[in-house]
Amino acid sequence: MPEAVGISNLPNQRFKIVSQSGATFTLMVAGESGLGKTTFVNTLFQSTLKQHDDPSERHNKFTSTHQTVGVSIVRALLEEKNFKIRLNLIDTPGFGNNVDNADLWTPIIDFIDDQHELYMRQEKQPLRSERKDLRVHACLYFIRPTGHSLKPLDIEIMKKLSTRVNLVPVIAKADTLAPAELEAFKARIREVIEAQDINIYTPPLDIEDPASAEHSKQLIEAMPFAIIGSESDVEVSPGNFVRGRKYPWGVVEVENEHHCDFKKLRSLLLRTNMLDLILLTNEIHFETFRSVKLGLSSESGTAEESSVKKPRRLHNPKFKEEEDDLKKFFTEQVKAEEQRFRQWETNIVNERNRLNQDLEDMQAKLKLLEEQVKKLQVARK
Amino acid sequence: MDQEIKIIKRKVSGFVGFANLPKQWHRKSVRRGFTFNCMVVGEGGLGKATLVNTLFNREIIAPKPVEELTVEDENEGVEPVLKIETTSAEIEEDGVKLKLNVVTAPGFGEAINNTDSWKPIVDEINSRFDHYLEAESRINRSAITDNRIHALLYFIEPTGHSLRALDVQLMKLVHEKVNLIPVIAKSDTLVDEEVEEFKTRVMNDIKYQKIKIFTPQIYENDDEEVTANCKALIASFPFAVVGSTSEVQTPDGRTVRGRAYPWGVIEVDNESQNDFVKLRQLLVRNNLEELKETTSDVLYEKYRSEKLEKMGIEQDNTVFKEFDPLTKQEEERALHEAKLAKMEAEMKAVFQHKVSEKEKKLQRSEADLFNRHGEMKTKLEKQIQLLEEKKAQLEKQKSLPVQPAPATQQKARKGFLR
Repeated sequence: MPEAVGISNLPNQRFKIVSQSGATFTLMVAGESGLGKTTFVNTLFQSTLKQHDDPSERHNKFTSTHQTVGVSIVRALLEEKNFKIRLNLIDTPGFGNNVDNADLWTPIIDFIDDQHELYMRQEKQPLRSERKDLRVHACLYFIRPTGHSLKPLDIEIMKKLSTRVNLVPVIAKADTLAPAELEAFKARIREVIEAQDINIYTPPLDIEDPASAEHSKQLIEAMPFAIIGSESDVEVSPGNFVRGRKYPWGVVEVENEHHCDFKKLRSLLLRTNMLDLILLTNEIHFETFRSVKLGLSSESGTAEESSVKKPRRLHNPKFKEEEDDLKKFFTEQVKAEEQRFRQWETNIVNERNRLNQDLEDMQAKLKLLEEQVKKLQVARK
Repeated sequence: MDQEIKIIKRKVSGFVGFANLPKQWHRKSVRRGFTFNCMVVGEGGLGKATLVNTLFNREIIAPKPVEELTVEDENEGVEPVLKIETTSAEIEEDGVKLKLNVVTAPGFGEAINNTDSWKPIVDEINSRFDHYLEAESRINRSAITDNRIHALLYFIEPTGHSLRALDVQLMKLVHEKVNLIPVIAKSDTLVDEEVEEFKTRVMNDIKYQKIKIFTPQIYENDDEEVTANCKALIASFPFAVVGSTSEVQTPDGRTVRGRAYPWGVIEVDNESQNDFVKLRQLLVRNNLEELKETTSDVLYEKYRSEKLEKMGIEQDNTVFKEFDPLTKQEEERALHEAKLAKMEAEMKAVFQHKVSEKEKKLQRSEADLFNRHGEMKTKLEKQIQLLEEKKAQLEKQKSLPVQPAPATQQKARKGFLR
């Protein structure tokens, strides 16, 4: 019997090609400040990738840096077991620090859309091997561990995110909730997510592979993941260190499944579903954006122009302020001029009265003269 | 424009998990299945169908019925028409599925005048690229299928001489569009030394004509065995092959795929007798995915960029810069400032226009006022003067005796009335 053709080796070829070429992964963290986004990212990748903001800056709400919700990017080239990824971390600092948070999702949403649009424009070029890809593969949305439910702001932002990115909601700082509270909180969040039709990322259930389906099921059941981040190791027993947080009443272990869902989240983001996240972004989220964009521009006739020259919304509150100042300045000028004109008109009226008086005087004089003349003429006869 | 982008470089020591991505790809690829489009070109009678069937160990291309092979005799003088045919097959091995499409060009090189016989082949390759290009530009591209030719097996007749003009011509026309794999067909007609010599000649021709043939990549971190195997493949170019789907008995009693001659049995799968195994390694076992990757990333991209440039689409390199939130902010600031400046200019213009209109209006009414007053005043002054003169005259007359001079008086009065 001749040997096999070698088709069963094809997946290994793919494995090898991917191992060689590495991958690009872009992770976005969003949520109010103070929920441990930076800590989580550093815990996940076991390296200090993101520096914490200077605490003095963080709480100075009057400095300009925190009045706008700016997106920041950390780029890293990470290597694990000879496999390299280009990792992009997108952070949205300052989120929720303002008193009025009505428009604070725009920079986040714009960032995601911008990346899709930029990728689309790159893809159209004749030479395109140098494509820069910052399309967000997963967005972790940090929920404050209130124990109540989702806030309207959370719902609003999650709705907007879920239509354009793989959204993974997580409960931050879960060590403030007791197990029963956590379960109840999770259940309420799941209810809201379902009731509001928020489309969060769920790992696929592979019917042909019971083991992986079971794993996916466990992940889905644990959503939204309750997480604890820590960048330091604590000693649990002499000589035995784990990543965690040490309280007077005990140690919370990050990687202990009974303490939090960190391991599950890591599995979802990296170990089991990273490819799924990447492919979904490329095949669903990007394609949806692209077809909507192209569909719109082909309807309006001028395909290229309209997409490029679309007036950008500028959401910097400072810009609005400056515009208002300018308008105010002109309004004042107009007022000043109006005042001047009114004065002028009054002057004209006064002058007219004076001149009219002058004429009247003359007329009176004329009349007097006429009478005198008449008298003289009469006397003459 | 230089961009300074900070990139952190780290090797992670503990378990993080992203190194699992190739494994995820492995699983995903099994689920999605594979496709492969292979074109087989060469003169009739070189055993193309047999080789393809031997490669995949099943009948993919049915052997031509004998009457078709002799059809030329009936249509004496009529040039055989080269046509393109595609045969598809689904092959599964250990749960891995491959959809194989074999594209053949029966009739190639069989005409008396073969000047343009390459044309349908080149057209086919191009049109498949065009098709893909059109599909990837569509709004909805979820149904995109890859019909591009991933490899072209070119059969060289085992003449023992060198490449013929037609071989060179065709290879030159396609070598930048497909992964070209030349093979020496029916190599059992050449003895070992002849094979070696013929291979050398063919390779020299290929080099001299600057024809690119597909060469598998050797990676830095490949282990020694893989590297050695890859080098052995490259060293055996072009593969001298024998195809056979029938099983024969060797003198030592083994059943093998091969050809039995009175002087012995040639075994297809015996590496010491021909390069069939190497060809299968290159085409299927080791490099099929690489062939596809090269087609997609290099050959198709080259075709596409040349085509778009020919269509007059200009390259815009500004879209390739690294996205930087700071630059973005600056851009937005600039945009905002331009908007403000425009707003200011517009408001200023409107303002100045309005102000000057109002000023003119007021000045006009002022001037009107003075003019009217001046006119009236002059008129009145004249009347007063006339009356005063008259009065003076009358007073003078009063003291003098009456003189009859009514005419003058009448005249003066007329003037007064005007």
